[in-house]
Amino acid sequence: MRVEPSAFPQAETPAESALRFEALEAQAEQIMGVFARAGYERVAPSFIQPADIFLDRIGEALRNRTYVFTDPDGQELCLRPDLTIPACRIYLERNPEADAEARYSYNGPAFRYQPGEPDALRPREFRQAGIENFGEADREQTDAEVLALILEAIRLAGLTGFEVRCGDLGLFRALLGALPIPARWRDRLLHGFWRPGAFHSALRQLASAPASLPDPRVAALAASLDPQNSLTAEQQVAAFLDANNLAMLGARNTGEITSRLLSAAADMREQPLSADVVELVESYLAISGPADAALAAIASLMNEARIDLSAPLDACRRRQMLMREADIDMSAMEFDTDFGRQFEYYSGFVFQIEMPGHGIAGQIAGGGRYDGLLASIGAERDAPAIGSAIHTERLLAAKGSGR
Amino acid sequence: MTGKLILGVPSKGRLMEQTADDFAARGLALAKTGHQRGYRGEIAGFPDVEVAYLSASEIARHLQLGRIHLGVTGEDLIREHIPDADKRCDLVAKLGFGRADVVVAVPECWIDVATIADLEEAAAIFYREHGRRLRVATKYMNLTRRFFAEKGLVSYRIVESLGATEGTPAAQTAEIIVDITTTGTTLRANRLKTLSNGTILRSQACLFASIAAPRSPASGAAEARIRQHFAKSI
Repeated sequence: MRVEPSAFPQAETPAESALRFEALEAQAEQIMGVFARAGYERVAPSFIQPADIFLDRIGEALRNRTYVFTDPDGQELCLRPDLTIPACRIYLERNPEADAEARYSYNGPAFRYQPGEPDALRPREFRQAGIENFGEADREQTDAEVLALILEAIRLAGLTGFEVRCGDLGLFRALLGALPIPARWRDRLLHGFWRPGAFHSALRQLASAPASLPDPRVAALAASLDPQNSLTAEQQVAAFLDANNLAMLGARNTGEITSRLLSAAADMREQPLSADVVELVESYLAISGPADAALAAIASLMNEARIDLSAPLDACRRRQMLMREADIDMSAMEFDTDFGRQFEYYSGFVFQIEMPGHGIAGQIAGGGRYDGLLASIGAERDAPAIGSAIHTERLLAAKGSGR
Repeated sequence: MTGKLILGVPSKGRLMEQTADDFAARGLALAKTGHQRGYRGEIAGFPDVEVAYLSASEIARHLQLGRIHLGVTGEDLIREHIPDADKRCDLVAKLGFGRADVVVAVPECWIDVATIADLEEAAAIFYREHGRRLRVATKYMNLTRRFFAEKGLVSYRIVESLGATEGTPAAQTAEIIVDITTTGTTLRANRLKTLSNGTILRSQACLFASIAAPRSPASGAAEARIRQHFAKSI
């Protein structure tokens, strides 16, 4: 069957990977010079990466935005959607123990599917110039240095009128740790943090009915399990499955089922999350404003609630002091407790450099601390790591628009 | 370009028969032109309409690209294969046959999992215990991703499955599935159960119009006439 050729084909595949290529390259060399002078070694992460590591670490949602393909050997590969994980792989290849300090810089294309029509400021091929800093133990000092370096590069490139937005995911983790709630609820809330909608409903659920076992027979089984003896509990679960002709199927085992039933049983005995705690968490996540004022607001909120967050707050204050010492303009810096929710691998300080009023195209650079990422992609232990990348096309365009 | 309106209809099986019956009941007589095993047809009394017999998933693809003007296919295929489907296709009418639900199903023995929220928690524990993500076997990769993203479920991997999806948990190539079901019999036979809020889509056969397809005066007029036959229920 022959059908009519389409008059409106798919979005065009541009012939050029970059417009204003020479200007971009010149700008990138300038940026890379700034990184080199700060002791960052230039590396060349592979364009083609194993898909597994991205999909397993960042999750299936990323696949929507990543060019994933299978080669003739059946290996699932992808075009790198960003350069952080590729740089981490270089670090681990060179330092399998993840115990050395290393500073890498890179400049090169990353590839992302753009839903809707790709355009000049959301191209599907774009160049990132960035740095990754591994193994430096003084976290606040390194946080301040990395941000200062990125700002230096952006300023040298000629950008003015930008703002810095930052947050600290470690502070939220510390808050959960200090709350008088069971550890499994902490896990549940922390796990949901990256998805505001799911987080909100998890919070509501803990405040109303923490446990949900709709089948009364299963609820009765859960209530009868011995929380002190997980082996006996597992045997009880196995007997229940047997008696109800429910054969085990697949890789998930009776131990995992038992542990969730034990959690549910504990939740049924637990008082729901108090309204005070819900309000505290929501008030915390609503704080944003000039960095110094925001930290003061957090401190006074914690004081009122008698929650001790002094150590992590002191670390935040120290970082801000170090930033001031590095000549970062703190009046143009906003601290947002909610910020960083979209990047699941970040673990601490996060920041973004934005041109106000330009939407996504105004997001010039971003970065943050990701202390747990190396371990999750194969390192023996967690290691301090922080990185940042500049979206060079947007930087070039933003400079133009300022004139 | 012939300037004719092109209508895509399913080329085989129950769906083809039901489409012909439904169109007939609306006063539109579909008939093949040339050989009975051919793939071209017409509607009696509509000289400006050409009927193209295509596979249901090809119809979705052609609607997206604007190669056909109208097409009958399952809503599941439109939503699976066309990003931003509502912007590229206009749903003219739900036809009331070819009904099937796209659902999330897990092993019956997972007595601790009744909702998507349970599944999310079980998936997080699975990741910790096994060092890999829970695998979801499906041919509906896009519907699955979109639904799980909406529900906040992230700890999973999709394993593409082009047949016998219900068997993948038993074969240990996936832990859970997303698949189409009409009565649930096949799911039960494979010791799987659905979740209380795990219905992704209640699908049925629909008539869609392509937004991208260019219209000539003749095809535009023919489309308006055909649409009138779908304006009221039968």
